[in-house]
Amino acid sequence: MNIQLQRVDKSFGDQLAIDNIDFTIPSGEICCLLGPSGSGKTTLIRLMIGALAPDKGSVHIGETKMPNMDMLQQIGFMPQNDGLYEDLSAEANLAFFGSIYKLGKKALQERITEVLNLVDLTNDRNKLVRNFSGGMKKRLSLAIAILHKPDVLFLDEPTVGIDPILRRQIWGQFQVIRREGTTIIVSTHVMDEVLECDRAALVYNGRLIAYDHVQDLLDQTENGRVEELFLIAGKEEVGDHA
Amino acid sequence: MRNLAKRVIFQTLNDKRSVALILIAPLLILTLVYFLLGDSDYVPTVVLDDNAPEQLVDAFEDETLEVEQATFDDPKVYIEDNEHVDAVFEMNQEGTTITLREPSTKSSKAVGEIQDALTTLNPAAEIDTSFVYGEEGQSTFDSFGFVFLSLFSFFFVFILSAMALVKERSGGTLERLLMTPIKRGQVILGYTLGYGTFAVVQSIFIVLYSIYVLGLSSLGNMAWVMLTMLLMAGTAVLFGATISVFARSELQVVQMIPFTIIPQVFFSGLIPLDLIPYGLGNLSYVMPIFYGATAIKEVMIYGSGFSGIWMYLLGLILYAGVLYLLNMQALGKYRGH
Repeated sequence: MNIQLQRVDKSFGDQLAIDNIDFTIPSGEICCLLGPSGSGKTTLIRLMIGALAPDKGSVHIGETKMPNMDMLQQIGFMPQNDGLYEDLSAEANLAFFGSIYKLGKKALQERITEVLNLVDLTNDRNKLVRNFSGGMKKRLSLAIAILHKPDVLFLDEPTVGIDPILRRQIWGQFQVIRREGTTIIVSTHVMDEVLECDRAALVYNGRLIAYDHVQDLLDQTENGRVEELFLIAGKEEVGDHA
Repeated sequence: MRNLAKRVIFQTLNDKRSVALILIAPLLILTLVYFLLGDSDYVPTVVLDDNAPEQLVDAFEDETLEVEQATFDDPKVYIEDNEHVDAVFEMNQEGTTITLREPSTKSSKAVGEIQDALTTLNPAAEIDTSFVYGEEGQSTFDSFGFVFLSLFSFFFVFILSAMALVKERSGGTLERLLMTPIKRGQVILGYTLGYGTFAVVQSIFIVLYSIYVLGLSSLGNMAWVMLTMLLMAGTAVLFGATISVFARSELQVVQMIPFTIIPQVFFSGLIPLDLIPYGLGNLSYVMPIFYGATAIKEVMIYGSGFSGIWMYLLGLILYAGVLYLLNMQALGKYRGH
């Protein structure tokens, strides 16, 4: 399902957090939201999943206007802070979230085994989450987000605080999920993760400063580094004020 | 809703401190209160003048008093100098004077015993006291035990639920939960049911313990007390959930206790409401503990049945209903409402 944002504005108090953002993410692609922290990536994700309603403009997933309760069945969301029940085991966490999606007892049990295997936590399934390492929590959080085989998967900074080896591993899992036909929207401020994506949306101060295929974006730069696009945007901004 | 309740139960069971808070802490404090407010076998010491008539001294000695005789000029100075003395009694042509150390339970006990002694000397002055509810000489614990039943059933569940929900807000689990197709009402009722289960166990513990171990007496049927405690606990879950909206961390929940819980303690039956000046007693209607405490008092002290407490129970249910709606509102923020 395509995700379509039309002229979306969102402010908190008198702070304009999202300023007239307008773009469409095609079905089945990995799209990354790239920008420095505080630029509005999380707000953008919240608008797309329907946790926030836009002040102006509209957000659609497929034909459905967000926020929409029924759409939540088809959305997977991995929040920035892990969102896990620390006093439950990995398996109990999965079983609880699974029970909400009404997968049926047997199907759910099979699916739990499947996702635990995918994120490589099979041996730790009975451990309490409070005894997990940071990386294990991230992987469990991902497992919960994909438990109900969502059509659209939103990942808010999934690799923050993760070592490079694990980061590679997690991105490998994203590619597997994507091959199954899931559209993935992932926010990051790590520039080299962009190369793993089909498209990138560059967010700066609540505005979309560039949105294109990753290769086309790189072609616009002198030495193939995405940071340059932000530097150019920063200079334009200074120019605007002058 | 049931899956959420089940999760809350398992989660709490895996956290030993929470289990201790809800099951052991009330019994511990109740026991302490029992000893603090229970009967004491303290014998006050009264000093009479050396020249006091023998008849008077004998009458004093017949009561539970330590009687001493001494010579003194100023009774106040004498009490100050002799730490074990509670009262000095003087009787002469100018009248009768009792000098006491300070207004305290010890002093009132001494006065009571002295009055008894004087009555035996002059039987015509005897006054018979009787009570419609309760009996003379029952301990403070018997008179005020009900206050603690209602306070505990509210306070501990409140702490547990407020802390747990603040943790869910700050840890992102609530945000994640509301990004699943679960209904908001199911979330709130699930929490109430989950913590309510602990409240059931807690109220059974408290009631059985206070009756069979501490010997707290009740005129009415304890089943009504249990029902009231359950409604209190349900309200406490919702109250805790509402308060958690205004706290960013567990510490802030603790910081709010002086605003949320302590004022309620004074409206829980410790002080008769019509003694409170400026109509401040009416504040009790906004305090959930008032409804529960009054219902429990009706049952335990006045022996009322359902007909005597239904309006307080209704008050609690309405209160819970308002809190439910407030929580629906608060959860709506996570869904773009």
